[in-house]
Amino acid sequence: MDKVIVENSVEVSARDPWYSAAVAAVVIAGVFSLIVIVLLSVNHYHFKITHENRALKLEEMKLELAKTEYKEQFLADIRQFDLEIREEKLSRVKFSRTGGYLLVVALAIFFGCLKFIQNCNKKLPSPQHQSEAGPRQLLQTRQANIAVTVTVVIFVGIGLLLMVRPAIDLGSGEAVAAYPLAEQIAANWPTFRGPAGSGISTYTNIPTEWDGASGKGIVWKSEIPIGGNNSPIVWDDRVFISGGHEEKREVYCYDADSGALLWIGDVTAPAMPGADEFEEPMEDTGFAAPTMATDGKRVFAIFANGDIGAFDFNGKNLWSKNLGTPDNMYGYASSLTMYQNMVIVQYDQGMGDDGKSRLIALDGFSGRAVWEVKRMVPNSWTSPVVANIDGRDVIVTCGDPWVIAYDAATAAELWRVDCIGGDLAPSPIYAGNFVLAAEPDSRLIAIRTDGTGDVTETHIVWKTRDGIGDITSPVSDGELIFLTAGGRVTCLQLSDAVEVWEEDTDGYFMASPSLAGGRLYVLSDDGAMYILKAGREFEQLGLCELGEDCFATPAFADGRIYIRGVLNLYCIGSTE
Amino acid sequence: MIRSALLIVIAVCLLITCADAFGIQRFPPPDFETGHQLPGTTEPGARSEIFEYVDAAVLIIALSLASWLILKKRNRRWIFMLMLFSLGYFGFYREGCVCPIGAIGNFTLSVFDSDYAMPLGALIFFIAPLVFTLFFGRSFCGAVCPMGAIQDLVLVRPVKVPKGLEQALRLFAYLYLGLAVLFAATGSAFLICRYDPFVAMFRLSGSLNMLVIGACFLVVGVFIGRPYCRFVCPYGVILRQLSRLAKKRVTITPDDCIKCRLCEDSCPFGAIDEPEAPWPEEVYKQRKKTLALLIALLPVLVVLGGWVLGGMSDSTARMHASVRLAEQIYMEEAGLAQETTDPSSAFRGTGEQVADLYAEAVKIRGQFAVGGWFVGGFLGLIAGLKLIRLSVKPTREDYEADRAGCLACGRCFSYCPRDHVRIKELKAASG
Amino acid sequence: MTENGKDNISRRKFLRETAWGASIAAVGAAVGASVTRKAKADMLWQIDPHKCIQCGNCATFCVLEESAVKCVHAYAMCGYCNICTGYLEPEPYALDTGAENQLCPTGAIKRTFIEDPYYEYTIDEPLCIGCAKCVKGCGAFGNGSLFLQVRHDRCVNCNECSIAVACPSGAFVRVDAHQPYLLKGANDEE
Repeated sequence: MDKVIVENSVEVSARDPWYSAAVAAVVIAGVFSLIVIVLLSVNHYHFKITHENRALKLEEMKLELAKTEYKEQFLADIRQFDLEIREEKLSRVKFSRTGGYLLVVALAIFFGCLKFIQNCNKKLPSPQHQSEAGPRQLLQTRQANIAVTVTVVIFVGIGLLLMVRPAIDLGSGEAVAAYPLAEQIAANWPTFRGPAGSGISTYTNIPTEWDGASGKGIVWKSEIPIGGNNSPIVWDDRVFISGGHEEKREVYCYDADSGALLWIGDVTAPAMPGADEFEEPMEDTGFAAPTMATDGKRVFAIFANGDIGAFDFNGKNLWSKNLGTPDNMYGYASSLTMYQNMVIVQYDQGMGDDGKSRLIALDGFSGRAVWEVKRMVPNSWTSPVVANIDGRDVIVTCGDPWVIAYDAATAAELWRVDCIGGDLAPSPIYAGNFVLAAEPDSRLIAIRTDGTGDVTETHIVWKTRDGIGDITSPVSDGELIFLTAGGRVTCLQLSDAVEVWEEDTDGYFMASPSLAGGRLYVLSDDGAMYILKAGREFEQLGLCELGEDCFATPAFADGRIYIRGVLNLYCIGSTE
Repeated sequence: MIRSALLIVIAVCLLITCADAFGIQRFPPPDFETGHQLPGTTEPGARSEIFEYVDAAVLIIALSLASWLILKKRNRRWIFMLMLFSLGYFGFYREGCVCPIGAIGNFTLSVFDSDYAMPLGALIFFIAPLVFTLFFGRSFCGAVCPMGAIQDLVLVRPVKVPKGLEQALRLFAYLYLGLAVLFAATGSAFLICRYDPFVAMFRLSGSLNMLVIGACFLVVGVFIGRPYCRFVCPYGVILRQLSRLAKKRVTITPDDCIKCRLCEDSCPFGAIDEPEAPWPEEVYKQRKKTLALLIALLPVLVVLGGWVLGGMSDSTARMHASVRLAEQIYMEEAGLAQETTDPSSAFRGTGEQVADLYAEAVKIRGQFAVGGWFVGGFLGLIAGLKLIRLSVKPTREDYEADRAGCLACGRCFSYCPRDHVRIKELKAASG
Repeated sequence: MTENGKDNISRRKFLRETAWGASIAAVGAAVGASVTRKAKADMLWQIDPHKCIQCGNCATFCVLEESAVKCVHAYAMCGYCNICTGYLEPEPYALDTGAENQLCPTGAIKRTFIEDPYYEYTIDEPLCIGCAKCVKGCGAFGNGSLFLQVRHDRCVNCNECSIAVACPSGAFVRVDAHQPYLLKGANDEE
């Protein structure tokens, strides 16, 4: 383009026949490019704003559909709107693509002609008189020195600003843990049977007198929208229970002080008729037998069909998923438990040799499976417990015929004992230095916990012959064990299983016994709480009637007991 | 962020085996009574590998041709044509993504991360212009680089940039190079590719930011010749230094300079040096003192650079995704962040330990501190050497193309009367 | 003065020659350093479907106007359900193919009746925008047979993939160009 210029004088170039055409082309191409740029920008921003709004509106319309009366018309509107959105998007994309090509062509013409014009107008170089080289160059050098120095100072200045900016100290290890500390867990009732599933409350100020009929000692009573057999769990000022039937599975959050139902969380997965033949659970089990679990920030609930959901304390659904319909003959009933940030699901099902049973750890935050181990056991109804044994967090599980302990952090199996059979419902506990596991209606087994591998031959300390019921779990203060079977309460010595006392009551116990403040709390299915002295002599300290059938184990908090009746949730405590 | 083929394969295999266990087949795949055949998942292939070598061959041919045109043929028109071809091929056809400038990132990473290997094609793209520059000067910049070409095309009304400002602005290119190397070496980012101003134009699609930045460069480029090449391009500053050593160099005149001053204003990139005489005696003495001071200052600048860039490692390390994630998680856990982010939720989904993440982030910060010392020291050295250079008076008798700064565009050739004599003689010789 | 000047010039020349040799050696060393790394190097970007969290960034962050990421289907994993949570809205108004019931914002999933009660779902790739809504739906309550993949016939294989930069879960990985897909189901048997 920069032609040989010495031969071309200015006058000759200006008379180039293409000159005026080039000028016109530059103007036209320039204006055209500007217009295209403006149109493309408008297209971009308009689309950006409207598309999002319209997509949102479409979602709203879809939601509204269920409530609208004139469905036919509304349906047609939605479809039309949906079509418009899609067509618009396609046309916008086409527009910007065409615009892009046009712009490139127009700019090529613009700059091409501009260069041509420039070439025509090119003046011969005519060096002007210059000032003396020496001083000029000295000045230039000084200016360059100053400019470089200033730039360096600016760079260093910016660097210093970034340097003094306070940084997050990741190295000190003072970061707050993502999961609750042991003290926080001990002060709450985060899972079935409280901390470590032991059935022991750390509070001593648990009420001993109340009466459902007169309302004495009842802080509040709140209706439960959909029933279920799971126990309440408590964290700070919140009480959670779940409920479910064939159509709906829900989580309920109550205010611990007022009993107000704060929110309802829906875990109902879309119904899958045809594709999914789900055998309904037995009526005694129901859809919501498993107790929920919480890590103090989130709550988790699982239901008999394998739906599991997570909510934050404000009721926002964090995730929901289905673990696969469990093949379980009475209905899935194992409660959830927590280890650090993980929800532990004992998903025992099938016949045992079909490899369907699993122990799953889901990340509480996202619901993703962190680890999963296969269990060659058939369906069971026991709940896993996480206990700190010799400084290590261990998950203890029961499944015919094994009691298996896993390292909670790595999911590695630690030891197993072949000792229990049948349809297992009572959950294991860790007490003293033993794991206690129960064979329903048969026996209680104490296992030492320092083994590895199959320790059936070596680590069973003792076995009892009776005293254990078919669904309730034992509770132990480290010296004595308390068992219930039907209406009978048995006290054994932990060290050698020697019977200390045994008494029959008028009640019938579906709920497991709990210990608080040196007292044994056993809740009968007619709503009567037997309060016994947790000692070497049998002594009934109280009998409090609620007046409503109760199947779930109560939850204990600071000066309170939360009891789930079939219809209502009760808070027992001081009413003053 | 980047792992080797081996690591990826192992990691993926591990993941797949884990995930297999997690695989939840809620609805068993059916057995069709009608004998319906399951379709397979299609796997459309990528562009064939052979084209990588075609690109490399085109590059080498273009470089050879450019060098010949610039040094032997001395014809701006042909250089311009080659430039247009390069813009079309490497720019619009190959969409600007086989590029020696961006390959700085790949190369650095391949040096620092023993698990990352650079594609051979990219390596050729990175090395070939360096070698050609050592022999023939910056013929790559002149006629092969599509980014240079697009800027060259829009240069209509060149404005002279004062020498001092030019020197100062060029420091930015060194800073850019230093940061690009730092971020690539730590596996944080390919900075140059991320902020490539013209690639979005070559593709005719891309994020709006990049299009706007590219458009700004072009608008500025109408008045200031090749602003990206001169003040930003990190590859350009490497070529500058190599070009100083080049065996052959671009000369304004084909034979002798007659000091007619006609070429004085011909270079839109300020790369023509005028004859210079030594300083007068009294200035010389004064400059000598300054020089001594500057040489003494050099180590100070090196340490200062290292101290600043090494010291701001907590800020620079945020370029690394793991560090950002660790800080976000920390904020969430400490109750300082109200909202969780997608990365933090995803991290919690993996079940990895927060402590491990913190440890990794601390380690990466350490890498940034060490790398920052080196890069900062390098930048301090560059600034110091620049100041020293400015104080040393070069002496030359002719008008010369600046060895480092000449972009080999060939604009000045036709300004030299000796070149016209040469052309006439050639014509006469050929009959 | 002239002698001095000549000296200067030859010294400068010597220095330059030395530097030149050093530079060539450095370039050679660079080539060597890079080539002697792990031999095979050609790599392409791909999504690890097991790490993907379906955030939707693939639809918006690709440098291409139409994302190179598309949904693909591992048919062997699909339950061929009538009610597909990857195809239908979470609470569909009716179990038909009406626009109001479809989860896909572009209607890119085609549903074909195979035999009672099974339906096949295929992705119409040109329509798919890689938003991962269906992947999320399928993963939550279905078999997880729908997942995202970078389609290499569309991907321009950027040096630094912009979706990879935006990917919150680090699901974008470089894979060997000879096996550029990470398909669900296909590898799971191994």
